[in-house]
Amino acid sequence: MSQLLKREVVFALTGVVTVLMFVEYFFFPSDWIVASTVRNWAVIIYNISLGLGGVRLIMQHVWGTQRRKENWQFSALFLVAFVVMLFGGLAGYLGTGVATSNGVYNWLFNNVYTPLGSTTYAITGFYIFSAAYRAFRARNLDAALMLIAGCFVILSNAPVGEVIWSGIPAIGEWFRFTGQVPGMRVFGVVGALGTIAYGFRALLGKERGFYAGGAEE
Amino acid sequence: MSGQNIFERLQNIDRRVFYWVLFITLMVPFIYPIGLPVKVVKNTRDLYEGITGDNINPGDIALMNFGYGVSAWSECAPGFTVSAKALFREGARIVFIGAHYDVELSFNKLKNDAAADFAGKVDGVDYVFLGYFAGGESAIAQLATDAWTVYPEDHYGTPVADIPLMQDFHGWQDIAVVLSSDTGDVGSYFLRQWQGAHGTKLAEIGIAMNGSTDYPYYLAGNFFGLSIGSRGGAELEVLIGEPGEATTAMDSINASHLLIVVAVILANVGYLLSRRQA
Amino acid sequence: MAIIVTGRLMTFILLILTFALMYYYMYLGKKGTVFKVRTLPAIQAIPEAVGRAAEMGQPVLWTPGIAGGLNDSTQGPQTLAAISILEYVTEECVRAGVKIAAICPLPDALPLVEEAMRTAYMSQGKPEEFDIEAVRFLSGQSAYMTGTLGYIQRERPASTILVGGFYYEAVIIAEAGNTIGAMQIGGTNNTHQMPFLVATCDYMLLAEELYAAGAAISQNPDMLGSIKGEDMIKLLIIALTGVGFLLGAVRINFLADLLRM
Repeated sequence: MSQLLKREVVFALTGVVTVLMFVEYFFFPSDWIVASTVRNWAVIIYNISLGLGGVRLIMQHVWGTQRRKENWQFSALFLVAFVVMLFGGLAGYLGTGVATSNGVYNWLFNNVYTPLGSTTYAITGFYIFSAAYRAFRARNLDAALMLIAGCFVILSNAPVGEVIWSGIPAIGEWFRFTGQVPGMRVFGVVGALGTIAYGFRALLGKERGFYAGGAEE
Repeated sequence: MSGQNIFERLQNIDRRVFYWVLFITLMVPFIYPIGLPVKVVKNTRDLYEGITGDNINPGDIALMNFGYGVSAWSECAPGFTVSAKALFREGARIVFIGAHYDVELSFNKLKNDAAADFAGKVDGVDYVFLGYFAGGESAIAQLATDAWTVYPEDHYGTPVADIPLMQDFHGWQDIAVVLSSDTGDVGSYFLRQWQGAHGTKLAEIGIAMNGSTDYPYYLAGNFFGLSIGSRGGAELEVLIGEPGEATTAMDSINASHLLIVVAVILANVGYLLSRRQA
Repeated sequence: MAIIVTGRLMTFILLILTFALMYYYMYLGKKGTVFKVRTLPAIQAIPEAVGRAAEMGQPVLWTPGIAGGLNDSTQGPQTLAAISILEYVTEECVRAGVKIAAICPLPDALPLVEEAMRTAYMSQGKPEEFDIEAVRFLSGQSAYMTGTLGYIQRERPASTILVGGFYYEAVIIAEAGNTIGAMQIGGTNNTHQMPFLVATCDYMLLAEELYAAGAAISQNPDMLGSIKGEDMIKLLIIALTGVGFLLGAVRINFLADLLRM
C-alpha cells in the first residue's frame, strides 16, 4: 500500500469527518444533512467490512484445505457450514423476503449455533471461579483489605448475604459507594481523557496503529 | 501434590475439583429450591417506577434494545420481559431493535414469556420489531437523527412507510424512554448519542459484569434506573408481582456466591498458615 | 440566537482548551523540552516476553478482544492502540526470530493488523518472512474465544499480549494462558474487564496507559508532550471537582450551573 494511501488520504479523510461531526454536535441543534449522510456512509462501510471478514475466512480455510495443513478437516467442515448457512439464509430471503425463514438455516441456528453460544458464555463462570481462587491471596495488607472488601461485596449482591448476617448488605453497599464507584469514576474520566488524547494524536498523524505503519515519525 | 502438607493442598486444589463442585452447587437449587426473599434495591425500583405510573403516558413510544444474545438470556431476558410487560400495561407503544444477529430468537422468547400482554396488541400499531442493526455507534447516532434510514423496513420486510407506529417515530424527539439491555456497549452508545446529546430518558438492564461500570452513570443521573444481572431481573419480577426465571435462578446465584467466598477463604487459610509454618 | 447549541458551550470550551493544551505541550516537546513520563512496566516487559518466547522456541500470541469495533468511539481507539503495540511486538519478534500469531476477531480492523505486521517486517528488512496466515480472523465472540483457547492449548505460546477492547472472553483467554504458564501482558480501557485481566496477567496497561503505549514505545517528544497536556487537563478536572464539591457543600451552585451551560 503506498504511503500516500496510508498516510495522506487517511489523514485528510479523518480530518474532514472529525470536523463535520464537531460542527454538527456544537452548532446544529438538530441533525445536519451533511453529517447525517456521512454517518450513513459509516454504517454502510461497516456492513461492507463484515463481507470482507467473510471473504477472509473463506480464503483462510480454502488455503488450509488445499494445502492439507494440520487440522485441515476442520477447515473443510467450516467451508461446508459456511455454504449451507449462506445459501440457506439466501434461499429464505429470496423466497419470502425474510432471511430466517429457511428450515435448514433455522434448525442449524436454533439447535447448533445457539446452544454452543450459550455454553461458551456459561464457561465464563467456571473460569472466573478458578481465576478468583488462584488470584485472591492476602499476600500483603492491600491485598488482604481488597479481599475482605470483595467478599462483602460478593455476599451483599446475593440475598444469602443478608441471611448470614444482616450487616453484610450495609457493609457491601458501603464498600461499593466509597471504593468501587469512585474507582470506576476515576477510570471513566481518565479513560475518556486518554481516548481524547489518542484521537488528537491520530488527527495530527502521530499514531502508528491508526495509520498502520504510515504515521509520521 | 505428594509431599505437600494440608495447607499447601488447600492452596492448590485442582481446578477441575472446583468445576465439579460449582456445577453441582449450581444444579442442586434447581431441584431443591430454597426460596430466599429478594430485597429490591433503589436502582431497580427507580427503573420500574420510571416506566410505570405517571412517568409514562398511554401512547408514548418506548425504544427497547435487545443488546444481548441467547447466551445472556438468563441475565437480561427476565428484566427485559418485565419492562416490556410494564410498558404495555401502561398503554405505551414499543419499538424493538437488536444488536445481535440472534435477536429474532430473543424477540420470540419475549413474545412467549409475555404472551398475555402481547395478546391484546397489534403488530405495527402497538409494537414493531425492527430487528437487527449493524453499524454500532454510528447506527445508534443515526437512529437518533433519522430512524428510517437505519431501518427502511422492519424485520419481516414490511417497509416502514407502511407501518402505522413508525409514522410517529423518526428520531429521538419521538421517544419517551429508551431501555437498553446489553452485554456490551450498546447501552453506552445510547448514553452518548441519545441521553448525552439529547437528554432522552435512558435505563439499562445489564449483566452483572457491567454493574460496577454502569452504577456511576445511574448515580450521576444518566440512567434513570438500573437493573443488574439476574438479581435485577428477580427484583423486577418482585415489583411486578410475577415470579419468573430470574427468581428461580436466585437460589443458584446464592449458592455460587457463597461457594466462591468459601473457596477464597480456604485458599487464604492455606496460604497464611503455610506462611506461618514456614 | 446562540451560536453554540444550548447546553454544549462549556463542553466546547473545555474541548478546545484540551486540544490547545495538548498542542502547546507537543510544540514544546518538538522544540526540545524533555517531558518525563513514568515508565510503563507492561511496555518494558515486551522485550522480556519476546525473549522468553525465543528461549522456549514457542510463538507469541497477540489478540485485541472483540469489543473494539472501529465504529465505536470508546472501543475503536483501544483496538488502534493495540495495533500500535502489535507493530512494536512484531518488530521485536522479527529481531529475535520468533513467530508471532495475531488472532483478530474484528473484520474492520483486519486490514490494519495485516498492514501493521507487514510494515514491521519491512522495517526490519525481512519482508519476505511475513506470512499472511499468521493473521487469523475468527468472527463472532464464541468462535473467537474458543478458537483462541484452542490455539493456546495446541501451540502453547510462551507469551500472550492481550490488549484492546475486551468483553467476557478476556477472563477465559487470560486464564487459559495462565494454565499453560505463559507470560501475559494485558491492557484494556473496559472497566468491567480490568479486574479479570489484572488477576490473570503478569503486567497490565490500565485505562489511559493503553493509549499512552504508542508514545511510550516511540519516545517521540511531541507525543510525550501530548501526555503532559493530558495531565494538565486532569489537574484542571481535579481542581474543578474540588472547588465544586466545596461550593456545593455550602449550597453555591454557580460552578455546577456554569458547567451545564
